[in-house]
Amino acid sequence: MDLHEPEVAKLPPRNPEPQVDPDALVFSAEEKERIAGYQKRYPTAEGAIMRALWLAQEKFGFLPPEVIRLVADELGVPYASAYGVATFYTQYYKEKVGRFVLDVCTCFSCQLCGGVDMLHHLESKLGVKAGETTADGMFTIQGVECLGACGSAPMMQVTNGPYIYNLTEDKLDELIEAMRAGSMPGFTSVTLPQDEDEMGGNRRTDIDEVAVYQTPPVAREID
Amino acid sequence: MPKVTIDNEVLEFDGQHKLLQLCLDRGQELPHFCYHPAMSVPANCRQCLVKVGMPKVDRATREPVLDEDGNPVIQYFPKLQTSCSLDVTDGMVVHTHRTDELVSRAQRDNLELLLINHPLDCPICDQAGHCPLQNQAYKYGPEGSRFEFRKVKKPKAVPLGPRVMLDGERCINCTRCVRFTDEISKSHQLTIIGRGVRNYPMTPPGMEFDDPYSMNVIDICPVGALTSIDFRFKARAWEVSKTPSITATNAKGSNCFYWVKDNRIVNVTARENADVNGFWLPDEDRLNTDRFNDNRPDGPKVRMGGQLVDASWDEAYDAAGALLRGVTGKDVLFIGSAHASVEDNYLLTRLAAHLNADAPVYVPHVVAGADDDWLVTDDKTPNAAGCERLGIHPADPAVLKSRLASGDVKVVYVMDDDPVGAGVLAANDLDDVAVILHHSHTTNTTLASADVALPSAMIVETIGTFVNTDGHAQRVRPAKAIKGVNRSLMMEMGKSRLDEHATPFDRWSVEDNKVSCQPGWEALPAIAGRVSLDLKFKGPKQVMAQVAADHSAFEGATYEAMGLSGVRLVESGAVV
Repeated sequence: MDLHEPEVAKLPPRNPEPQVDPDALVFSAEEKERIAGYQKRYPTAEGAIMRALWLAQEKFGFLPPEVIRLVADELGVPYASAYGVATFYTQYYKEKVGRFVLDVCTCFSCQLCGGVDMLHHLESKLGVKAGETTADGMFTIQGVECLGACGSAPMMQVTNGPYIYNLTEDKLDELIEAMRAGSMPGFTSVTLPQDEDEMGGNRRTDIDEVAVYQTPPVAREID
Repeated sequence: MPKVTIDNEVLEFDGQHKLLQLCLDRGQELPHFCYHPAMSVPANCRQCLVKVGMPKVDRATREPVLDEDGNPVIQYFPKLQTSCSLDVTDGMVVHTHRTDELVSRAQRDNLELLLINHPLDCPICDQAGHCPLQNQAYKYGPEGSRFEFRKVKKPKAVPLGPRVMLDGERCINCTRCVRFTDEISKSHQLTIIGRGVRNYPMTPPGMEFDDPYSMNVIDICPVGALTSIDFRFKARAWEVSKTPSITATNAKGSNCFYWVKDNRIVNVTARENADVNGFWLPDEDRLNTDRFNDNRPDGPKVRMGGQLVDASWDEAYDAAGALLRGVTGKDVLFIGSAHASVEDNYLLTRLAAHLNADAPVYVPHVVAGADDDWLVTDDKTPNAAGCERLGIHPADPAVLKSRLASGDVKVVYVMDDDPVGAGVLAANDLDDVAVILHHSHTTNTTLASADVALPSAMIVETIGTFVNTDGHAQRVRPAKAIKGVNRSLMMEMGKSRLDEHATPFDRWSVEDNKVSCQPGWEALPAIAGRVSLDLKFKGPKQVMAQVAADHSAFEGATYEAMGLSGVRLVESGAVV
């Protein structure tokens, strides 16, 4: 990732080849029912686009145009509206991604605490650049904007799911090994300093243990 | 009546108003980009900010709080408001950029933000010269940019469809185009993709922006992001004159501006008329502008020795007069035209009546199934309704053919149409008769049978009245000059041409691209004079005044009344 390059908004392919087998491009009766259920929660069908896209992404793994069109048709909303929503959110994967998507935060707080170093570490370790997927289809890495966990910077998110806090290179190496073995990291509850007295530092009632971290590391590149 | 104070000026108003629209209606400009009166109000460009307050009311007593001088204390909203989305209420106090430093600063800063990633394309941008962003940056914007970093790069010159080109970098994401396809044309073909600094309008993959009304987004785009593939790089805005007129591609008579450069029609854009087309124009009205420029005849021709040879106008009129002299009643067949104005058709009916001939008929040009219940009609002519109101009805090919086959007919008089090309007559039907033809194109297939060929002015070169399918009478103005001197046309030109086209008497007059033709209201009286019928009028205005006075179906349709937006004629059920 080069912070000195100009921002470039790329033109997505205008007429891409379908990536999902046409026979597989259907929702099951149960999925259709769930989508109809989402639709009932909102005054307009447009309101359910996000949730329905999410369901489709869980089913197909990513959202190529034909899947977005399928969602739009299922909801009875314009294809263009659904496509606009899908492109707005980076959490919707418009291209095929690896089994684990590592979103390393490179926004201000994480950047100051070494977020970009962590991304560079992953880049050199996995041999791909930010935004790319490893040849074995295991990992996609990308730099992302603030994920709202500045208190535990630097951090990353795995496949729109669990947050990994207070990253270090060793921690990343361990994680990669574990993921290569097929295990998805679990959720971690992080305590804010002001909450430490309350419930033993654990504000969550559904998790027994809590990791309490020390002062985060500082980025090498800042010096 | 409720009152609102705008810039210290108290104004009474009635009903529900958005503040921006109220100001615009009063002729008070407020800068804005995303607001369009025909569409929903997203308030996303943030350019129309104003300072708004209400008189402070004491909560306990419900009495207005007064200051030391006895004036009501105004409690302003803590932040500036977007005037486009703000409902005007009684007692509201508004300060625009004219009276408030904070507002003008907000507008200046907002423009600076909008311009951060805007490319410095103006010298090669089609929108330059009539660009709301350019104009408003000039009037309300900062002196220069403080942004000294690299601008975001976005796709440029991307054809969204067959007619509209996108330049992503110029886009300010006002979403007017997206709202147009969602709310007005309902084709739902556009969306804003991406987010933050990287977003721009685009069709979803596999979809083309081929909406039959797609080019309206070019008109409403407040920057040069959407330009016409047909027109781009052909002319700069300041090189053209824009003449308010109506389109002639169908019976709706949508209001438009004809853009003229070097006396050629180069572009057609929509002109607002709430009674006819709102703000919109179908793509078919905007394309094929070259039909006004190319394949145009050059002067009248008369058949001599089997060949059409060039003649002077007087020679041609004499030849037409000679053919008509002595024929009467069943000897002559008049074919009027739904392409020609009410004035021309009226003069033709007068000529037909003078010769005791049947009333003229017109050649229908109908494409079944083209009608979209909006601005496209099955009828592809601009004045069929006007013909009907004059008692000119569609030609029945069988009747025409049988009359020609009977051998009675000696002369066929065709005005502004191509009955052979339209399939109403076959070329060999006209073998044994003399044909007087007013034609606008050399591609007119009836020309091969013509004995006298009189080039006629097209809708962009003449003055006249056209009645649309809803009975709305509208007049056209000359957008491009014809060869020769015509006082009526020059008077109209003087009023409508911004590019100060030279008169033929000026040394800098250029004859290029001028067609040697005559409007019907000039040629018909000249021919009528040769068969002892006095059809002389001072000009088309007087012809129309006569029509409006004589025909109840045209009551009130004088040039003064029609103005720029036309008049709705009374239903003419009587005319069948």
